[in-house]
Amino acid sequence: MRDIKLDTSTDPQVGFRPPGSLDPEPLAPYSGRFTVRHAAHLLRRAGFGGAQADVARAQSLGMPGAVDALLHPEGDDFDFPAYPANDVLYTMNGGMARSGTQLWWLDRMLRTKRPLTEKMTLFWHGHFATSIDKVPAALMAEQINLFRAQGMGNFRTLLASVSVDPAMSVWLDNRYNTKAHPNENYAREVMELFALGLGNYTEDDVKNAARAFTGWTYNNKTQQVVFNPKLHDDDTKTFLGHTGPFGLQDVVAIIVSRPVHQRFIARALLEYFVYSDPEPELIEGLAQTYALSGYDIAKTMGTILRSNVFYSTRAYRAIPKSPIEFAIGLLRYAGTTHVPANLPYALRRMGQEPLAPPSVKGWDGGPAWINTNTLLARFNYVNALAAQAPPKADAPNIQPDAIVAQTGFDAPRVVEAIVSAALQDDVTRDVRETIVGYLTQSDAVGSAPFGRENYQQKIRGAVALTLNLPVNQLN
Amino acid sequence: MTNRRSFLASSLGIAVLGGSMPLALMRAAGAQPLPALGASIDPRNVLVVIQMNGGNDGLNTVVPYSDDAYHRVRPVIGVAPNTVLKLDDRIGLNPALASLMELYKEGRVALVQGVGYPNPNRSHFEATQIWETASPERPQQSGWLGRYLDRTYPANVKPPSMFEAVALGDTLPTALVAQHVDVPAIGSLGGYAYNTIKDAKTSAGALYDGAGPGESPYLEMIADTARNAYHGGDALRAKIADYTPKAAYPNDAFSQQLKLAAQLIGSDAGTRIVFVSIGSFDTHANQRAVQDRLLKMMGDGLKAFYADLAAHQIDKNVLAMTFSEFGRRVTQNASNGTDHGTAMPLFVIGGAVKGGIYGDHPSLTDLDNGDLKFHTDFRAVYATVLKNWLGHDPADVLAGSFQTLPLV
Repeated sequence: MRDIKLDTSTDPQVGFRPPGSLDPEPLAPYSGRFTVRHAAHLLRRAGFGGAQADVARAQSLGMPGAVDALLHPEGDDFDFPAYPANDVLYTMNGGMARSGTQLWWLDRMLRTKRPLTEKMTLFWHGHFATSIDKVPAALMAEQINLFRAQGMGNFRTLLASVSVDPAMSVWLDNRYNTKAHPNENYAREVMELFALGLGNYTEDDVKNAARAFTGWTYNNKTQQVVFNPKLHDDDTKTFLGHTGPFGLQDVVAIIVSRPVHQRFIARALLEYFVYSDPEPELIEGLAQTYALSGYDIAKTMGTILRSNVFYSTRAYRAIPKSPIEFAIGLLRYAGTTHVPANLPYALRRMGQEPLAPPSVKGWDGGPAWINTNTLLARFNYVNALAAQAPPKADAPNIQPDAIVAQTGFDAPRVVEAIVSAALQDDVTRDVRETIVGYLTQSDAVGSAPFGRENYQQKIRGAVALTLNLPVNQLN
Repeated sequence: MTNRRSFLASSLGIAVLGGSMPLALMRAAGAQPLPALGASIDPRNVLVVIQMNGGNDGLNTVVPYSDDAYHRVRPVIGVAPNTVLKLDDRIGLNPALASLMELYKEGRVALVQGVGYPNPNRSHFEATQIWETASPERPQQSGWLGRYLDRTYPANVKPPSMFEAVALGDTLPTALVAQHVDVPAIGSLGGYAYNTIKDAKTSAGALYDGAGPGESPYLEMIADTARNAYHGGDALRAKIADYTPKAAYPNDAFSQQLKLAAQLIGSDAGTRIVFVSIGSFDTHANQRAVQDRLLKMMGDGLKAFYADLAAHQIDKNVLAMTFSEFGRRVTQNASNGTDHGTAMPLFVIGGAVKGGIYGDHPSLTDLDNGDLKFHTDFRAVYATVLKNWLGHDPADVLAGSFQTLPLV
């Protein structure tokens, strides 16, 4: 294959490392105060945020307790369906199978009592990016279930499972990979995108890994991946310096044992959960944690979520929210328990249609989430949502009555209540004054100042203004 | 703020969103767009890319009417020789393209035949990504036009207009995915707007306009972009108000998009890159009715578009090119349609194009597994447009080097 040099100059997208310097002991457990802001930060990063009461509950547990509750959730979750309904999956209407499967997953993100499990599911979906544009909806659902079942377990097991996952087998053509006709597509992405990173393997390594991955065929009727020994190449291969008659499990074991792999996973987790462009020493530290844990994702995540660097000012509101984080966070904040049917479409306009990443590289994330189109889609989604009042099914639970019961018709106190519930007070005085101004002043539209006649609608307007602040685009 | 921002850009060596950079900073940095390659390239040149979405059947678009093999493989859906709009004694256009034929006769259409790439992909999704990223070998996130924009306007250079490049549609096509140039996707003139709850619009504007830089380097980027999002719709409507269309456009969505494209190009909006799409050309069944209707829509829309541009005396500066993710199988299927295939013709229209036929029609008997063989790589067409029309070094945008065509 020709040397393609163009990719590296613009891809992957590199985000902004926060200003300032790294803590002396970035991965040591954090022992400072655990305020409402810290608790909200934890819920946003290790889940999809929450209502004011959720944040208060997390804060009352203290940092170690709140992290344990995420890592080792007690009690049963809601009784979510294991798969989208059959009439969704096997409809003749492809659009319905697509949006129905997306809604099946979004519902779980919104309501689950195990937000970290679902967040890791979303993380692996972006990492092993597979698209419903090529893969049947039922297989996509099965792959999401795989990420949920194994995404907090051992990466070696996960990578082996993904390698024989039906959706992946269809997506990257490993079903066509046989001894007689090797297909390198999957093997190449395992190295470049899933486990090692560009520059950490040779073309011969790709060829030999592809040979090790031969024989895993896909049966269209049963929708299963089946090993056919006759199609498998069991001759000797040399892969990353090791030689033997390797199969799939051997290649996976060799990959995870490489320090470059350990740094690769450490970097991916830090970029997603802590901040963009993490320092090499931070990556190295987490890579060691990951290796010592025996590639245990839950243990590695535990280290991250308890660490000094995670609770540092530099990490606070330092990553743009992905559209899914933004939208599910919005619905959780608003106490909505019902996913609006138009959410998959809205997420598409915001730049992250679930189950449909733009390519096997997944979503770039970071600064790539933010452009005129995607921000406008976020703003208009919030504005449309906030305008809905009960009893409409999609109406957010904004509760103007509860707010004025607490504050009276005192505009500054109303704004205080809104920005503290929605943004943990992460707003400047100017911003508060502008929102107070919205409540109290008649403007060109001719609306009356804040009072008994219009507080329902004015509070909804103030909530929309608050949720559309630039700071609410940051996790 | 300015200092902090230029400090960030230089010390981190990363993109700081050229598309949203304050004008003052641009002046402070003395930033200029990179010069065009050749002095003969008119800097006002505009490129309109037309996506024929779904995989357009090339054989019924440019018909090899005198080839018996064509009539053997297309017994039902074939275009009758006496209806074909003849280009020469071998090929002709589908009669639905009568309007395009008028432009062709005026020497304003270049037909490029047999366009494709090695190891063609028959998945709509993957093939579309390949055409739009111009990267058949490796998946890539940025589009070919996005890279052109990024290279033309590096991180510290703001395009002269926030509508420098525009996608006409609800979401940004991959072709225009750039790293630091912000490309608006405009579904409709009215729909491109910040829609607030009743009376909150003024306050929303105050919040974005007054937003401070904050701690995170992302915050200023978001605030800048939020201002564009908030003001963009009104700015767009104000800018195009001085352009009055001087042709009767058909009422279909595609023609109306071209009308908006003309307004963007001919007005203060100053747009230089437009992406529009028409479809779906995915004609697995009863192809003639569907494809003929779409081809007519495309031809009629383009005729109105160029009449409008000519009336404003800017037609010579506007080049349109079509593409589709793949052509279709040579042999018709059992449903009087065609399935996903490979090579196809594309059209380059208007501007200073040298009208005519480029390349032979692919053979209908020397096939690759039942599919047409390509002879012209699609990236050669891109390279031609980049170099000879936009004055940009193709090697900057396309991996590998491709022979340009003499069509412009």
